[in-house]
Amino acid sequence: MATVEFKGKTFEIDEDGFLQRFEDWSPEWVDYVKEQEGIKELTDEHQKVIEFLQDYYKKNGIAPMVRILSKVTGFKLKHIYELFPSGPGKGACKMAGLPKPTGCV
Amino acid sequence: MAFVSSGYNPDKPMENRITDIGPQNYQNFLPPVIKNNYGKWLYHEILEPGVLMHKAESGDEVYTIRVGTARLMSVGLIREILDIADAHCDGYVRWTTRNNVEFILDSKDKVEPLKKDLEGRKFPGGSNKFPIGGTGASVPNVVHTQGWVHCHTPATDASGPVKALMDEFYSEFQSMELPAPIRLAVACCLNMCGACHCSDIAVVGIHRKPPLIDHEVLDDICEIPLAVASCPTAAIRPSKVEVNGKEKKTVAIKEERCMFCGNCYTMCAALPLADAEGDGCAIMVGGKVSNRISNPKFSKVVAAYVPNEPPRWPTLVQTIRKIVDAYKQDAKKYERIGDWAERIGWERFFEKTGLEFTEHLIDDFRDPAYYSWRQTTNFKW
Ligand code: SF4
Ligand code: SF4
Repeated sequence: MATVEFKGKTFEIDEDGFLQRFEDWSPEWVDYVKEQEGIKELTDEHQKVIEFLQDYYKKNGIAPMVRILSKVTGFKLKHIYELFPSGPGKGACKMAGLPKPTGCV
Repeated sequence: MAFVSSGYNPDKPMENRITDIGPQNYQNFLPPVIKNNYGKWLYHEILEPGVLMHKAESGDEVYTIRVGTARLMSVGLIREILDIADAHCDGYVRWTTRNNVEFILDSKDKVEPLKKDLEGRKFPGGSNKFPIGGTGASVPNVVHTQGWVHCHTPATDASGPVKALMDEFYSEFQSMELPAPIRLAVACCLNMCGACHCSDIAVVGIHRKPPLIDHEVLDDICEIPLAVASCPTAAIRPSKVEVNGKEKKTVAIKEERCMFCGNCYTMCAALPLADAEGDGCAIMVGGKVSNRISNPKFSKVVAAYVPNEPPRWPTLVQTIRKIVDAYKQDAKKYERIGDWAERIGWERFFEKTGLEFTEHLIDDFRDPAYYSWRQTTNFKW
């Protein structure tokens, strides 16, 4: 298991760069990840997606389905990709600190 | 090797990014004789095992030579295929839906030279690189999966058993003496990527032990409700345990309800279940996808478990040999294995193949299981 140090914080990550523990998430994590996920500047829209994912995960124990993410944030899938070029799973969920998506991905 | 950039700029990942262009149009790669006669074919003949002739309205003839491949192949071997295509077919070649390779020729006198060329090519170990066959009532290539080469959920290997099977059925690949084609398929877990559920004979990797639960990390790396919902028999429920004095959210598995499908591991990496002694293969028979005479059929489990015996899987191969031999001897012309088994009755299938009927073969999954039992006094002693 690799660890990264960033702005005085230590994060344990897996080989795909996902956080090992949701509790370890902090705003610095988003700062650290954004570059590798192709994001220059964090906007309110990014923030809205990340916050919704975290709320949903805390409440339900799972990441929302893509249609739920779109419906609640009001962002069409196309726009989510504009915000997070790697998409809602690899991009947004990783930045929000959610566990790595599983299944036949 | 030192890093060599392709021109991609990681600082501006979206700059000059090309996307949604799809595959190339297949028309770009059609041999001229195919392009000229597209949609205007009159009839075809199988001249000999592995060699076809198509006649067009224009009078043009196209000769196709089909060769077996291992599916998993190196760039070196692909280059060799392209060299052959350059030398004999003006650079054109195609792959079939069963991962055979077909060389297409526009005149009959090119057939023998190509055949001679193909037959002469062997790997250092002695295997033929391009065995000709797989047409008509034969055993063409085995549709198979990743196995221990690349997947994380397999209960058996794919490339290994397929090589062992095709060595056994090599003469059936190169001849056309069966009542009808026998489609073989291998899937290394019950996910059944590929064609196992609809093939004449199928090998499917199975587990026989429930998952281990890594309580310590489960909640960190899994979405627990997904693991719960992944179980077809509802053997999983959310639960809590104490690990090193700390309460952790996790799952509990009712082992007597678990039938080792491995779905929960697919959804949750903290539930691994692969096991060297437990894992093995189930054999299924009688599936087909065509509508010819009888409707498409699912394959049915006829051997609940044969052990994994790498590298040659002898028990597996010999059991399938018994099925093929009984079918070959007993079935009528045009009868697929499923047609044959249904005509003679499954009790006769077990008698003729010598396979043992065990309680594992009796369906017990939900209401539809009932329909697989016998609601009639029609049976043979
Ligand atoms: S059949 Fe199962 S183990 Fe094999 S490639 Fe598909 S998912 Fe992986
Ligand atoms: S292996 Fe299959 S049956 Fe067993 S607990 Fe997991 S999902 Fe349920």
